[in-house]
Amino acid sequence: MNSHAPPSIILKFAAGGAFFIINLFAFALLLRGHNLPGGGFIAGLVTAISLLLANLAYGLEQTHRILRVDPARIAFVGLAVAVGSGLYRVFAGEPYLTQVNWHLHHVPVFGEVHVGTPLVFDIGVYLVVIGICCKILFILAQSTSGMRALVASEAEVYASPLEEPVEDGSREENPV
Amino acid sequence: MVTPLFMETGVLIALILPFLLVPVVGFFGPRMGARVAWLALPAPAIGFAALLHGAISHGATPQVAEWQWIPYLGVNFSLLIDGFSLFFGLVVAGVGALVVFYSRHYLDDHYEHHGRFYAYLLLFMGAMQGTVFSNNLLLLFVFWELTGISSFLLIGFFHHESVTRTGARMALLVTASTGLLLLVGVVMLRQWGGTFDLSALLSMRADADVRDLGALFTGAMVCIALGAFGKSAQFPFHFWLPNAMAAPTPVSAYLHSATMVKLGVFLCGRMSPLFADMGWWTPLLASTGIVTMLLGAWFALLSHDLKSIFAYSTVSTLGMLIAYYGLAPGTGAKFDYLHIASHVFFKGCLFMVAGIVDHTTGTRDVRQLGGLGRRVPVLALICGLALASMASLPGTVGFISKEMLLKESGDWFVTQGVGARLLIAAVLLATVFKVALSLRVMRSVFLGTEPPALAANYHRPGWGVLFPPMVLAAAGVVFGVVPSLLSRLLYPLRVDGMHNFKAEALAFWHGWNLELGLSIGSMLLGVGLFMVLHRRGQWHTYHIPGILRFDLGFTRMVEALPGQAKWITRLSGADSPLNYLLIMMGFLTALTGGMMLWLLFGGHLQLAGLTSENFTVKSLRIFVGIIIILSVIGAMVLSRWTTRLVSLSAAGFLVTFYFVLYRAPDLALTQILVETVTLLAVLLLLGRFPESVEKSEIENARWNTRKTAAAVISTGVGLVVFGFIALCTLNPHPDKIGYYFLEASKPFGAGTNAVNVILVDFRGFDTLGEITVLVIAMLGCLGLLMRYKRTPEELKEGDMGEPGMGIHHEDSQP
Repeated sequence: MNSHAPPSIILKFAAGGAFFIINLFAFALLLRGHNLPGGGFIAGLVTAISLLLANLAYGLEQTHRILRVDPARIAFVGLAVAVGSGLYRVFAGEPYLTQVNWHLHHVPVFGEVHVGTPLVFDIGVYLVVIGICCKILFILAQSTSGMRALVASEAEVYASPLEEPVEDGSREENPV
Repeated sequence: MVTPLFMETGVLIALILPFLLVPVVGFFGPRMGARVAWLALPAPAIGFAALLHGAISHGATPQVAEWQWIPYLGVNFSLLIDGFSLFFGLVVAGVGALVVFYSRHYLDDHYEHHGRFYAYLLLFMGAMQGTVFSNNLLLLFVFWELTGISSFLLIGFFHHESVTRTGARMALLVTASTGLLLLVGVVMLRQWGGTFDLSALLSMRADADVRDLGALFTGAMVCIALGAFGKSAQFPFHFWLPNAMAAPTPVSAYLHSATMVKLGVFLCGRMSPLFADMGWWTPLLASTGIVTMLLGAWFALLSHDLKSIFAYSTVSTLGMLIAYYGLAPGTGAKFDYLHIASHVFFKGCLFMVAGIVDHTTGTRDVRQLGGLGRRVPVLALICGLALASMASLPGTVGFISKEMLLKESGDWFVTQGVGARLLIAAVLLATVFKVALSLRVMRSVFLGTEPPALAANYHRPGWGVLFPPMVLAAAGVVFGVVPSLLSRLLYPLRVDGMHNFKAEALAFWHGWNLELGLSIGSMLLGVGLFMVLHRRGQWHTYHIPGILRFDLGFTRMVEALPGQAKWITRLSGADSPLNYLLIMMGFLTALTGGMMLWLLFGGHLQLAGLTSENFTVKSLRIFVGIIIILSVIGAMVLSRWTTRLVSLSAAGFLVTFYFVLYRAPDLALTQILVETVTLLAVLLLLGRFPESVEKSEIENARWNTRKTAAAVISTGVGLVVFGFIALCTLNPHPDKIGYYFLEASKPFGAGTNAVNVILVDFRGFDTLGEITVLVIAMLGCLGLLMRYKRTPEELKEGDMGEPGMGIHHEDSQP
């Protein structure tokens, strides 16, 4: 894979169109998950693939501009959403993660829609999957194209402050 | 008229207010700097007032306040409010208020992160209150470990220094691992009595005969005692306490003299009605306590850092208290409150003084100090009073405490025999050491000539920082001169079954008796010891013998861990995925295959249902099957990495055909998507390798042993999976849980897609755990992707640029 070559113009156009169609599909999968095949995990994978496609077509910087936020944050937000979704019934004295459902009939386009805490939980799963896939794959892509795996600001957040390699003999040779 | 409700409310205020203020303090910390202490102060101050008011107006009739938490596990938020817990609660809150006040002036604006400091301190305070008031033993364990964690954060507060990190790590490892022993003991008690409820266990034990308790109860006793030893720094765990002195001084004054290290003593006292008449209890506690008492006093004599001296003398006092509880007969101890309170007064004060000395002169080493008394006479006075209490001079509460201890041990001669005699001997010996120690501290810090370096660094301590130790020192003297005041305070707190003392038993003067004679004798010996050691002029060279420096051994052991882990990794081949996969798959195949064969030939399973009908030929399935087989063969025989990867993926994609065929659309969708993401990830990974590696692999391709092994094991995996599926489908299932979920998903989960309902509703907690693990795994990946393997040159000369997965990018250099 030569990532230094200019991306093809056809790929760019195709990816632009595909990005929206794929995400529409992901959205549908997410919403109908409770009654029909689908769900947060699958939908998250679909969206992650669409972002990877954007990455291939436009390059990393452009994709970061589309996303606006660090994908790891998406994962954290997703986790918080999933954890929070179970709290709703706790205040009514029921166990954590007791789910509540409402059924909406006659919604435009979708027809019947299910809303409730399971959907919120699923949205949490969706965001976690997107965040994790994108973060790891983007970093791999970044290092493939000759850049450092993490930029300095990321390294500050994710790396341990004291880096001591546990290689044989390296300690004895180099007392740092 | 005070209703019983008030008592609970007071305890709840003292327990919950610190936790409530943690986020407040954390939030305002960066804005207010050192002044944020004023926000933290209400927690201990109000808590102290609430407990005191409750204790005075309500008395200390034992009562249990319970709120349900996890009733079906027997874990409830249950508080046991009696004199014992109230006493400790008052100590925690009272000293807490003084320590917060002291920290306000000690940690001035030269320091950073005040918000974080007070948040940790409040967290610790709340955990302490929780531990002493817990009635449910599991709750007690949770709070117990929470004190360990918050003390780790406090000890490691100045974590930019490596000494601090080592000390904090040591304290955490020792107290948390012995805390696990406590958990084991608690579970054993639960097995014995069927409940975690302490008050229920106590009444159950009161009815049980000591001979029918059984091994389980003895095991619980040993485990709980060891947990207490770890927390209270008893031999052989004594080494963590002096190392925890790397903490900021207010933390040492609070955690390491007055509260946390007292938890082990607390636990021994709390559990003494359960264990006191068991054969092993007294020897275990008494021997450990006496050894610790003497070792601590001796080590204190050999140390030169003020905090380290006081830490070892704390270890010594803790040993005394543990031995005291161990020897106390089944009818109960008499003056445990007195001994604990006296230690709190003088040791809390001494640590604060050590902090002030450090602050004003820049050093805590007694060898470099001197003449401070002329500059700050009031500090000399405070320290002198506290040291007098430690050396148990008449007129201090330390004197009353030791007199009572000697007298009570004398009363135990009949029942405890040699143990009580040993305790008296050890206490007298420790007193000799402590008198010498006190004289030394007084002499070398406050008297004598002032070293010139000191005058340059000196700056005057403010009154704010002097006030808290002054209060403690004054309390030591006031209660020492008028002990009836103290006994009137402590008498209402006594607990039936744990104490048997009478009001007004304390007095300043007991007349000329044997105890007084022994006291005076040991004091004179202490003065003599000081004179001898001082005259010889060798004191500054003394140090603790290397063989008893357990802390060094412990640190060495901990630091050897990464190397051992590496060795084990190498041994199991886990550092090379190529080998490790072979080992793992080979093992699993052999295990599962062998098990299946064993079950088949043993007649537990059968293949009788396997007929030709199972192999009906259907053209489309056969066709897809052939394509899958072809692509798998392609993955094996093709040479380019990318083409091999694509043909392997093709096999994966085609498997979805069967999922669709057997009506598993969810599975099919997931399979397609996971296959796609994996393909992309591996393609990106391959891109990380330079082309030269692939070329050389293709050129040097030849059949070797590893490939033979891989072929054999792969075939084995295929056969085992086939056999497994055949056996599963041909033999009856014991329990078909799938049908339950299919039926229940609509009425209970309000969804028709059973798979998803299971994921988000029935097994929602599992999913939550899984996504949490995913996020953790991502963070781990980020750390790993950062830490590429470096060549020795890179280690020597610093970074050389791009990560290369251990392979140099010769061909990617321009």
